Amino acid sequence: MRPHVSVLRLPRGPDPNGRGFDPNSPRFIALCPTTISASTETGTDSVQIREEQRARSVLRESFLRTLIAMTNKQVQFHMYERVKVEAKFGASDIDVLNFQVSELHTPIGVQKEALLRCQDVISYSFDL
Amino acid sequence: MILTSQSETKVSMAMRQTPLTCSGHTRPVVDLAFSGITPYGYFLISACKDGKPMLRQGDTGDWIGTFLGHKGAVWGATLNNEATKAATAAADFTAKVWDAVTGDEVLTLAHKHIVKSVNFTQDSSCLLTGGNDKIIRIYDLNKPEAEPQEITGHTSAIKKALWCNNDTQILSAADDKTVRLWDRNSTEVVKQLSFDMSVSSMEYIPDGEVLVITYGKTIAFYNALSLDMIKTVDAPASIHSASLHPDKDFFVAGGDDFKLYKFDYGTKEELESYKGHFGPVHCVRFSPDGELYASGSEDGTLRLWQTAVGKTYGLWKCVLPGEFSCLIPNE
Repeated sequence: MRPHVSVLRLPRGPDPNGRGFDPNSPRFIALCPTTISASTETGTDSVQIREEQRARSVLRESFLRTLIAMTNKQVQFHMYERVKVEAKFGASDIDVLNFQVSELHTPIGVQKEALLRCQDVISYSFDL
Repeated sequence: MILTSQSETKVSMAMRQTPLTCSGHTRPVVDLAFSGITPYGYFLISACKDGKPMLRQGDTGDWIGTFLGHKGAVWGATLNNEATKAATAAADFTAKVWDAVTGDEVLTLAHKHIVKSVNFTQDSSCLLTGGNDKIIRIYDLNKPEAEPQEITGHTSAIKKALWCNNDTQILSAADDKTVRLWDRNSTEVVKQLSFDMSVSSMEYIPDGEVLVITYGKTIAFYNALSLDMIKTVDAPASIHSASLHPDKDFFVAGGDDFKLYKFDYGTKEELESYKGHFGPVHCVRFSPDGELYASGSEDGTLRLWQTAVGKTYGLWKCVLPGEFSCLIPNE
C-alpha cells in the first residue's frame, strides 16, 4: 500500500463570526487605502487627520448607541420600493447586514420573527 | 513537473496524492479563478450557489474572506492579476465588483437576466460580462455610470466571455453551441466555431495563445488567434472543465464521474486519475505557478491537488519512507 503524502495541517476554514479580510494582515495594512480623506491629499496634515478621525469616531459611537437605544422599541423602517414597515427591534449582526426584529407589520400581515436586510433599508426612526 | 533524478521519480510513484479539502461553502461550487502572482502570494476565488463567493490563499487554501451582498447563486467569479479587485456574476441579475483586500462591495452592475461570466482586462480598467440575456457587455470601471458597450449575436445564454489577444479581442461560449471571437472595437464577429453540443467550459492561456474548450467527453485545444484546432483528447467520462499547465506539458480535467484526470499534453496519454470529490467536478484550474490545481464540485468543496505528488509545497510535506535519502526538491 503506497503511503499518502503528508500534510502540515488542513486549510483553514471560514470564521463563523465574521466575513474575514483581517485588517491586521500584512496585505491589508500595505494595500488598504486609508478611508480618511484628509490623508489622501498630498502634504498630509496630521492635525487634519486627527480631527477627521475624531469626527468619525463620534459618528460611529453615536450609531452604535442608537442600536442599543433601539432595543425592544417600536421602529419604523423606510425601505426601497416604497415599503414602510414597523417592528420591534431586537439586534443587529456584527457587520450590520441584518436586523433581527419581532412582530414585523407588513402590508401582507404580521410576521412574528424576521430578519431585515440592512442594504434594503433606506432609513429608520424611533421614539427615544 | 520535470523529474530529473531517479530517486524523485521513485518518490512520486511511491506516494499517493493527498488532496487538501477547503470547506465552507454550503452548496455546489460552480466556478473558480486564480489571481496572478503578487508580492503576497497568489489567491483563489470560488463562486458558489450559496451566493457567498470566497477568497482563499492560493497555495494553502486558507480562507481569507467571504464577499457578502449577492442575493442569489453566484455563477462566475474572477480576480484581477494583482488580486486587489474581484468580480462576481450572479443569479440576482447583477455583476458586482469588490475590493479584494477589504472585502467591500465597490460596484453593482444591474443586468436584465442571470449573469454567468465576468472577466477583467489586464490593467483592470474594464470588466466583461455575459449571461442569460445573450449580450456581452464591456463596462469601463473608471466610468461605471456610463452605459456599457454591448455586443450582440449569440442566440442563447452566454456561459463564458473572456478577453484575449492583449484585450483587443473577446472570446465567448454560449448554449447556442458556438464559440465566437469578436473584435473589441468594431464589436463584429471575427471567427466562429460550431459544435454538435454545448461547450461546458473555456480557458484562455495568454502565453502561447491557447484556448481550452470542453464539450461532452472531449477536451479540445485551439489557437486563440486563428481558432484553428490544435488537438482533441477524449476522457473516460463527460467533462465539465479542463485546465492546461503553464508549461504546457500536461492538462487536468474533471466532470461527471467525480474524478480528476491528468493527461500528457504532448502524447494525449491519460497519466493519472484521482478520486476524492463526492459529486461532479464543475471547475478545475492550475495555479499561476503550476504547482497545484484546484477543483470545485457539486459536493460544495474545493480541493487542491499537487502537480508533482510528494513535493514539499504549500501545506504538503515531503516525508520519505526509510530507504530513500532526504531529497531537495529540484526544478
